[in-house]
Amino acid sequence: MRYRIRHTTKYAYSDTVAVCHNLVRLAPRAFGGQSLDSYRLIVSPDPADLAKRIDAFGNRVEFFSIQRAHQTLTMTAISDVEVFEKPLTPVDSPPWETVRDAMSCRIDQEALRAYRYVFPSIHAPRHASLRDYAAASFTPGRPIVEASTEFTSRLHADFKYDPRATTVSTPVLEAFEARAGVCQDFAHVQIACLRSIGLAARYVSGYLRTIPPPGKKRLVGADASHAWIGVYCGADGWIDFDPTNDCIPATDHITIAIGRDYADISPIQGVFVGGGSHTMSVSVDVAPRDER
Amino acid sequence: MQSQAQTLGGPPNTDPGSLFAGYTPIAGVYDEMLDASGRPRPAWNGLRPQLEQIGAEELSRRWAQSQRLINENGIVYSAYGDPEGRQRPWALDPAPLLLHESEWDVISAGLAQRAGLLEIVLDDLYGEQKLIASGLLPPELVYGHPGYRVALQRTAPPSDNRPPNLLMYAADLGRSPDGKWWVLADRTEAPSGVGFALENRLVTSRMLAEPFRERKVRRLAPFFLQLQQALRRWAPTGRTNPSIAILSQGASHPNYFEDAYLTRYLGHFLVEGEDLTVRNRRLWMKTLDGLTPIDVLIRRPNTDDCDPLELRGTNPAGVAGLVQAERDGALLLANAAGSGLVESPVFMAFMPRLCQELLGEPLSLPGVATWWCGEPASLEFVLANLDRMVLKRAFRRRGEESLLTAKFRQTSRDALVKMIRDDPHSFVAQEQLSRSASPSYRKKQLQPVRVALRAFVVAGEDTHYVMPGALARTSTDSGPLETSVLSGEGSKDVWIIGDKPVEVITLLPGEQEPIELVRIGDELPSRVADNSYWLGRHLERADAAARLVRIVATRLTSEGDSTDFPELPALVRALAEKGQIEPGYAVAEMRDRLPAVEAAIPREVLSRTQTSSLASTVDRMFGSAAKVRDRLSRDTWRIMLRVNDDFRHQRPVAANLTDLLNLTNELILDLAALGGMVVESMTRTQFYRFLDIGRRLERAMQAVDLLRTCLVESRDTSPALLEALLESADSLMTYRARYRASVKLAPVLDLLVTDETNPRSIAYQLNTLERHVGKLPRADDGGPGAPPEQRIALALSHAVRMADIRDLCEAYELNNPKPLTRLLSDLERDLPALSHAIALKYLTHSGPPRQLAPT
Repeated sequence: MRYRIRHTTKYAYSDTVAVCHNLVRLAPRAFGGQSLDSYRLIVSPDPADLAKRIDAFGNRVEFFSIQRAHQTLTMTAISDVEVFEKPLTPVDSPPWETVRDAMSCRIDQEALRAYRYVFPSIHAPRHASLRDYAAASFTPGRPIVEASTEFTSRLHADFKYDPRATTVSTPVLEAFEARAGVCQDFAHVQIACLRSIGLAARYVSGYLRTIPPPGKKRLVGADASHAWIGVYCGADGWIDFDPTNDCIPATDHITIAIGRDYADISPIQGVFVGGGSHTMSVSVDVAPRDER
Repeated sequence: MQSQAQTLGGPPNTDPGSLFAGYTPIAGVYDEMLDASGRPRPAWNGLRPQLEQIGAEELSRRWAQSQRLINENGIVYSAYGDPEGRQRPWALDPAPLLLHESEWDVISAGLAQRAGLLEIVLDDLYGEQKLIASGLLPPELVYGHPGYRVALQRTAPPSDNRPPNLLMYAADLGRSPDGKWWVLADRTEAPSGVGFALENRLVTSRMLAEPFRERKVRRLAPFFLQLQQALRRWAPTGRTNPSIAILSQGASHPNYFEDAYLTRYLGHFLVEGEDLTVRNRRLWMKTLDGLTPIDVLIRRPNTDDCDPLELRGTNPAGVAGLVQAERDGALLLANAAGSGLVESPVFMAFMPRLCQELLGEPLSLPGVATWWCGEPASLEFVLANLDRMVLKRAFRRRGEESLLTAKFRQTSRDALVKMIRDDPHSFVAQEQLSRSASPSYRKKQLQPVRVALRAFVVAGEDTHYVMPGALARTSTDSGPLETSVLSGEGSKDVWIIGDKPVEVITLLPGEQEPIELVRIGDELPSRVADNSYWLGRHLERADAAARLVRIVATRLTSEGDSTDFPELPALVRALAEKGQIEPGYAVAEMRDRLPAVEAAIPREVLSRTQTSSLASTVDRMFGSAAKVRDRLSRDTWRIMLRVNDDFRHQRPVAANLTDLLNLTNELILDLAALGGMVVESMTRTQFYRFLDIGRRLERAMQAVDLLRTCLVESRDTSPALLEALLESADSLMTYRARYRASVKLAPVLDLLVTDETNPRSIAYQLNTLERHVGKLPRADDGGPGAPPEQRIALALSHAVRMADIRDLCEAYELNNPKPLTRLLSDLERDLPALSHAIALKYLTHSGPPRQLAPT
């Protein structure tokens, strides 16, 4: 499946900003399941400099700064991406405890690399109540893929999608208690649960293609960023799960970045001087490329 | 063991006046001076006759002199608001600790090895992480480390000529009863203490000049030369004469003393986060003349506080973009961001094995035995031996230890066991070391105290240099002392005694060498100019408020009836206008409300919660002064402390009008003294200029304000009110001398507004401002014509010069206040405009940086 994605973020300030520095993670990842055919970041006003690097998780990071007075800042990322059909989700997988124990015994390098995602992070700490919640799905000896799939469904059923229930800074335990939130909360809760039982889980940021209702035209710019998770499943590697939609992501999910949680890969970080108060608006458009 | 009364190889000392009388080593502890038989160790041999020759009396005299020397060096440490004005975090003990070169060289080699090893470990953990892949280090040490920052993980292959992460390294050392030295702790984040060591040396070597000269004491200067060379060698390529700055945490931080001292000694800039900015991925210092590049930054704050963009700290000490500048190689950060990772005690448990595997040799200087509870066998061992160990957090957080140690001490054994079992990865336990003791000079006698050494290492091209000397910290307590450099009760110099003659080099200008005359100061950071400007404003604001309060209080406390003072309502209104009392008191029928006003004035003027009250103004004045204290003379600071004390000790509720009168009298005198000191003792640098601009602007604003509220708005020109106005401007005497008793509007206004010879007149302030503004630096090319601040200053002084005061007053008295009102409102408009123009151009390069709302 081929897409053209346009992601525009605009900041408007009540007062003049003298200088700003920004870190941006908006380029979709290229990996086995997805290729990035072209990517462009357009910043207005023109940045004084731009530096690119790859972070510790393999994401592309762009650093830029604007050194002249401005009152608005607009960033538009335009990406052409192809998402490939995924291999079938394995039916046979090892018991989850086997995967858990392989990581800490420091023999298998792949497992050792996954081990860093077992540790608590800012938005996904370990906690006894989360461990207990996960334990109902992760019964002794249960294959890890089967358990993760069922756990995703259970979380989806127990939690209410409610944008008013949380903000970006709501702690994960609060979202867990409320059993409500948005995709980011669903992902953080699930990651924190999996880590609490010793499994490796990571945060995936990206886009979700929206399919218009039958007979309706697709609305341009009405899409949004999305988030889901990945679970390390031993020999089968990392398998993604989307707790917000109760599914295993396939060609409708486009991956931008991967990290321990949102804090590692927030799309835009910035520090500015001056500016008074500011407002932000985002528009995302995920267009299948054959549509144009 | 022989009798311990027999000291220093001579006959037992019976002279009670002797320095060494009654020096008795502590039982069961290694004594640095005396061996088990009571004889002096080689390094100390012969010291006693030298000291006895100087004598206790002379030593005391020299000690008193040394204390003055410390003060005269102009660097005194005390935390912000410390009314004691304590000069140092701990007292300097003048008796040095002596170690023989042969012993020190072994320690040095061990420290160099350790510094090299920690560098390899740190570089790997933020690089390829082979140590984890190969199983040499457990992954928990990185991934479970709260100080590990993913943003600093390098993904590109390393370049060949990369500077070391640990340009500076320090270790705390202790000696066990069997005479062996052990490393108690590593310091890699931002090792402090070199400045203290240097200062101790300067004081001690002067005080004990004869023994220092004759004993072939190895000098410290070569170490600082190595440090200078390292900072230059690793500076970004192509910067042959790099500019170097020390990023300090501000005058309120205990390390400020050392930062300021080192800055002077090494000739660097002393900066704070607000002084710096990153442009084009390079670091710059904001000065009055514009931006000056910084190539090398010696870092004091923690890694997390260095860059609010990449490390998400919110501390103003940080500079957005700093990490990117370092990553690009455009800046040498010493030590590198993230260096603190390996100073956590947990790494000590792995050092012997790492040394063997990475360097192929045994660890030559052992660390104190450390067990990490994350390994099951160690956990059980620790729990079984908990009582005789020192429990620590595995992952160090700077500044937390002393609190933590106290907390652990109060926790029951069962609670500790549970805490460790719940989270074993987070704890280590260390063997407790009974540290050695060394003589301390106290009350004209020498007595043993426990010591720990902090030793310093700097990275060379392919080796490490260890300072031939150290900072010894002393305590009478035998407990752990490995917390921060600022802990302990005292400190002392450490002399490394050699057999060869020493080469004397120094970085300080020698007494014979001519010192190059310097007439201007360094570039003035905008932040310092800003604080100096506000100090000037607050000084005058406090003065104006105090004078007005005094005038009202004098009238209210006098014998007469309030009807004797027809000017009171106008004055009370001025008081309300200036925010000293609530506006509700300033009503026409004030006579009926007088008791209420009398009670309200002391309460509200002294209130520290009302932002515009006199007490709050004094608070802010003191705050501004504290921020620029390194530029104020000692006497100026002393007066500041006194003013602050006077106000802090007043309780607004209890104070009455008489107290207030006394207090304002004192304050006005103190402020006059401060003003005099500024004029008489401060060199005419940009610092002075900004302070005086602040004073003149505020004084002019206050005068305009008072004329408007008292005169124009009350339409009162009674002699009583005019006299009060003269009093408020300290011009009553001048007036009487000129005009005798008759008080009329025109001569009063002439004296207060247009008389350029009266230092209290508005014209005088504006003339001075015009002169100052003309001398401000002009780095940028602002296009044709005079810059805005110059134009406004000209317009202001022009307006006053052109005013015909006689005409204005005649019109006023004929019921046409317009000409006077117009003059005052022009001034009221342009004075703040001048302040704004100056601030925009010179003072607020920045404002505080803020983070974007998360997306």
